[in-house]
Amino acid sequence: MDLPEVELCDRLRSLPMNDQERLTRFESEMLPLTNDAYNLARWLVQNDQDAHDMVQEAFLRAFRFFHGMRGETSKAWLLRIVRNVCYDHLRKRQVLSNSSDSDQENLPDTNPSPEAALQTKSEIAAVRSALSKLPEDFRTVLVLREMEELSYREISEITQVPIGTVMSRLARGRQHLTDLLKQMRAKDLL
Amino acid sequence: MTCSEFQKHIDPFLDNEVDLATAQEMQRHLEECADCETFFAGRLALRQCLQTPELRFVPATDLRSEIHAQLRKEIRPPSAHFHWLPRLQFPNWILPALAGAAAVLIFWFGSTTFLSPVRSSKGANNTLIEQLVSNHLRSLVGNHLFDVASSDQHTVKPWFAGKLNFSPPVFDFSDQGFKLIGGRLDYLGDEEAAAVVFQHQKHYINLFVWPRNQSTTWSDTILQKEGFNLYGWEANGLTIWAVTDAAPETLKTFVELEKQRMAE
Repeated sequence: MDLPEVELCDRLRSLPMNDQERLTRFESEMLPLTNDAYNLARWLVQNDQDAHDMVQEAFLRAFRFFHGMRGETSKAWLLRIVRNVCYDHLRKRQVLSNSSDSDQENLPDTNPSPEAALQTKSEIAAVRSALSKLPEDFRTVLVLREMEELSYREISEITQVPIGTVMSRLARGRQHLTDLLKQMRAKDLL
Repeated sequence: MTCSEFQKHIDPFLDNEVDLATAQEMQRHLEECADCETFFAGRLALRQCLQTPELRFVPATDLRSEIHAQLRKEIRPPSAHFHWLPRLQFPNWILPALAGAAAVLIFWFGSTTFLSPVRSSKGANNTLIEQLVSNHLRSLVGNHLFDVASSDQHTVKPWFAGKLNFSPPVFDFSDQGFKLIGGRLDYLGDEEAAAVVFQHQKHYINLFVWPRNQSTTWSDTILQKEGFNLYGWEANGLTIWAVTDAAPETLKTFVELEKQRMAE
């Protein structure tokens, strides 16, 4: 993370702007992150329509508090809002601790590159199912680390837990997932 | 390095989050220990699996343009009321307004880091406070302090009458040091509001007025935000917020005058 750039962005953001300027600046900084936001929301709330709504709500909140963003990268800041919106939603639905059904819908047609670890649609579905069975805290850090490729520090900002906790959740999450996948292989599910 | 030490650090090692010395030790251990190498290979395989692009979820519809459309609704709708009046009509206020704006900006940048709120804004809606400050600031730097420039309350008040479905209080307190200098239409969220503008020495006060409703709040005390002072109250079915860069005591005096006059 390039700190001077973050500081410069902070300064630019705090300049007085009219609404149109604010919207333009916000969109050029944030809209490219739409798919990242959706991916995280989708892994947290576990269905397409809710994830869709969560992302829209998160962008609205982000826009309202855009000028208050300080000392963080856009991605870490936006994903923290996405996570908060999703948690609010989950708390309302009280499904935070329940793992949901496996995700079979919305799978992209497989067109794997030669080095892709997962070759077929059913393999992807199986790994998705395993990952969505993980406790929510573990799933979040794994998605942020492996899919969004964020640093421990950024993950700590997003999930609001110390870096040491991020580290141990990643370790336990990976172990848990490895075991789950092994079980599935043993049952010939993968 | 022992195997248990290696396994303790394996995740930060994989994530490039260990220091160089530890990383080198772990690398050496990897070359010597087949068990740990297998363990590490398992982690690498898991990473490769999780980083398969197809595993990511991609929004099916055009989410980006939906967000864009929604955000556009958030910003102030363009209004037919916002005429740019010919500048030549007001040569006497443009310079002081610009000078005031520059002073405000310098003050604002200097003060945001040093001033803490006088009172917490508990009870008052933070979004509203932000909007008020933003509208105040915009009126100063946008060279758009008012739509009607007059120190005559009998000019300013009728000007509002044709444009709003409520009647904002318009008084001149020149004798007490708060000169009425004009009025303009403004928006707070979706609400149309009257902004009555006063000058106190080199400071400007925006008095935002709109019909009271359930979603608006008021403070009944002085709040401080980004170097500006705010005071909100309710009277005669209206929500009223005064925003200024003048000192808190000055704002208090002004609010007292307004309250007194409105009660008459």
